Amino acid sequence: MKQKEMIVKNILNSLVPILAAFILGGIIILAIGENPFTTYGILIRKSLFTWKGFLNTLHYATPLILTGLAIAVTFKANVYNMGVEGQMLLGGFFAGVAGAYLPLSTPLVGKLICFVIAALCGMLFALPPALLKARYQVNEMVVTLMLNYAVAKTLEFLTTGVFRDKSAGYVATPVISDTIMFQRIGSSRITAFFGMALIILFLMYILMNHSKLGFEMKAIGKNAEFAEATGMNVGKKIIILMLLSGALSGIAGAGWMMSDQFKYTLSFSENPGLGWDGMLISLLGSHSPIEILIASIFYAALKTGSDSINMYTSVPKEIVEIIQAIIILFLAVKFIKEKTGRKNRWKQSRKEAE
Amino acid sequence: MNSMVQTINLTKKFGDFTANNKINLHVKEQEIKCIVGENGAGKSTLMNMLYGLLQPTDGKIIIRGREVTMKSPLDAIANGIGMVHQHFKLVPSLTVYENILLGLEIKKKKGSLSLPLIDKEAEIKCVEKLIRDHGFELNPTDKVEDISVGARQRVEILKMLYRNVNILILDEPTAVLTPQEVDQLIHTLKKLKEQGKTIIVITHKLREVMELADSITVIKQGSIVGDVLKAETSERQLAQMMVGRDVVLRVENLRKKSADTKVLYETRELTTVNETGKEVVSDISFKLHQGEILGIAGVEGNGQSELVKLLTGLMCSTKGNTWLMGKDITNWWPNQLREAGIGIIPEDRYAQGLCKEMSISENCIAGYHGQEDICRYGLHRTKKMKEKRDRFIQEFDIRLGDPNGMVGNLSGGNAQKVIIARELSAAPQILIACQPTRGVDIGSIEFIHKAILKFKEAGNAVILVSSELSEIMSLSDRVIVMYKGRISGEILPEKTSVEEVGLLMAGITPTEE
Repeated sequence: MKQKEMIVKNILNSLVPILAAFILGGIIILAIGENPFTTYGILIRKSLFTWKGFLNTLHYATPLILTGLAIAVTFKANVYNMGVEGQMLLGGFFAGVAGAYLPLSTPLVGKLICFVIAALCGMLFALPPALLKARYQVNEMVVTLMLNYAVAKTLEFLTTGVFRDKSAGYVATPVISDTIMFQRIGSSRITAFFGMALIILFLMYILMNHSKLGFEMKAIGKNAEFAEATGMNVGKKIIILMLLSGALSGIAGAGWMMSDQFKYTLSFSENPGLGWDGMLISLLGSHSPIEILIASIFYAALKTGSDSINMYTSVPKEIVEIIQAIIILFLAVKFIKEKTGRKNRWKQSRKEAE
Repeated sequence: MNSMVQTINLTKKFGDFTANNKINLHVKEQEIKCIVGENGAGKSTLMNMLYGLLQPTDGKIIIRGREVTMKSPLDAIANGIGMVHQHFKLVPSLTVYENILLGLEIKKKKGSLSLPLIDKEAEIKCVEKLIRDHGFELNPTDKVEDISVGARQRVEILKMLYRNVNILILDEPTAVLTPQEVDQLIHTLKKLKEQGKTIIVITHKLREVMELADSITVIKQGSIVGDVLKAETSERQLAQMMVGRDVVLRVENLRKKSADTKVLYETRELTTVNETGKEVVSDISFKLHQGEILGIAGVEGNGQSELVKLLTGLMCSTKGNTWLMGKDITNWWPNQLREAGIGIIPEDRYAQGLCKEMSISENCIAGYHGQEDICRYGLHRTKKMKEKRDRFIQEFDIRLGDPNGMVGNLSGGNAQKVIIARELSAAPQILIACQPTRGVDIGSIEFIHKAILKFKEAGNAVILVSSELSEIMSLSDRVIVMYKGRISGEILPEKTSVEEVGLLMAGITPTEE
């Protein structure tokens, strides 16, 4: 009974912000002078109910699945790795550099090397904040958040200088070698990277729900004092989780590089960025892997659908950004409620106990 | 005599849970009314409604024949009701008089003009007069952090008296006091009654009720089950009303001479400091023998909590060592201690012992979640976890609604049983039990006491820390008493009276005859 209630509540928690965003977006579409139902109809039909559109949606969802997971593994333990965006950029950049400069002749090994390099880069970014947090209780949120900008600017410097492709007409690194590019399947954009993301998702599901580390992650997140009293070395676990998060972000970046971008440009992860979207997705999916998959597909569908809106109606595609922004706003409310709600519940239970 | 406080069909619900069901309380003017009941019976909920902290779902509160609605403690004070909480609400770094006048400071005056400056001297004089009028022992210029717990309680009472209340509610006032301080409090309250105050005391300690009360109301599961005058009742009858059945107030304990058995566990000169660098545990040395329960008694806040944290790996010592069967285990992590054969029942059930928002089976393996029988290649075996949980539920008589639910849904006693099941079934040799029955119903207390005694009789040893003196005295073979972080004495419970222990708890070492 109780569990069912919880599940229903969880689903409602995620659906209400989305519905509210669509209603508000609908009002804006009305004001533009279009019919919101036809507009939303096109949005959904083109992104989810045509074969090609659906595969494209899955393609765009792929890096989001990974960044969403990267956020979830730390947020679930009440540790906040806000550096997913930077870690993803770092991974993508160095996978791209390796793919362009290293003599990688076999496709499989070449991709593997790029992924390993990217994962290591992501972990390297995550390590200092993790150590500072575990050793000296430095707020990891601030450190990781700020490091994002340091990384973005450093990569901008490297792209415009050291690693710039002189033959290109704009700022970019050289295109990676053909051997390590993920090949498109059929006429859509989807590649084997999506399958890889699904495998990682499955592994993360096992890890988060059925492993010792997952148990400890949950315990640390729900009650750190309890975790410590039952013998978990909380500092060490925080470092492990941060590194895991960094590696996932790096892999997301490398995959995006090898399946879509093929070179590092200053708009590599677009606006607002795959890492930031990952945070939204993880919140939307209550930090659970299956829901993260659904949330990233939904989120990517908005993106693929927005091009069709532009084509078939007079509504500008930016309407999708408005909808996304409203979702973020409502999710923030949920986030606040989650935090204060826990406190109130605790208070009430204390009162009842007395 | 007139009726002072009356409630008519007062009801309070938290969601589906009815904390108070149609309470008809009747308190006469100038009497001491004791409200007794087990933990969770709804005593505090009732008082919080009278003090305006909670709003009733239904029913009326009538004070001096007039119906009132109270939205906050401010309204309650305006109606002449004051409350002294179980956990004092004082500012430790301020003085006694500053605490009493907090919020009602006396301003300096120039002519008829009141300046935004505090008139210290007038404040001290005012508080001195208040202390004298009520015959209290207090120095108004002492800092609250330097005075004893009993004195702090008197400050709380004065705080209410200064606000001119006629009805004084005290929530579990004796929980933190030494036996001597309890006597003093009873004396104080009786004097206040003579001065015309009406006093309501919440407690579950029956001995004190019999000394203090004029009339007694017994609450059980949110309803009044008995309303008696003290002269017409007995301790045994009250206990019966509280739980609805005859209770064996003492467990049978076969005490043994333990000095000649093997030493299992030993500490020498354990010392540690808290976050602020103050020494809170000083030179604690004791030996624990096989087949022995060593009780650690003391008024709360005299270093027992920190000592337990030291022994269970949650704090590090600055000096001294601990040995388990000859092996140095000083400053080991909790998981290492558990592996070495030490079971731990932590002090705060929901902070250190259990995680409310995790399932029962997950809580059943916490601390042992890396052991081979449930964890293979880093993965947990869900089936084995459930088997373990079901075994615990059966063996330890854990009563629950939904075995797949969260631990937070269990009652205090059953939640505590989850911890006891978890720790004892790992077959340790030493059990460190801290407040094992705090906030637990009488039925579970009996069960837990029996489990601890059975564990001891199987040739193991127990360190028992409890603020419940009767628990320590009836279970332990030997008791050490702590005062200000040090051992103030060691006693044998059969040969020692409660008064002697009380003196040790207050730091007074009796001179040798």
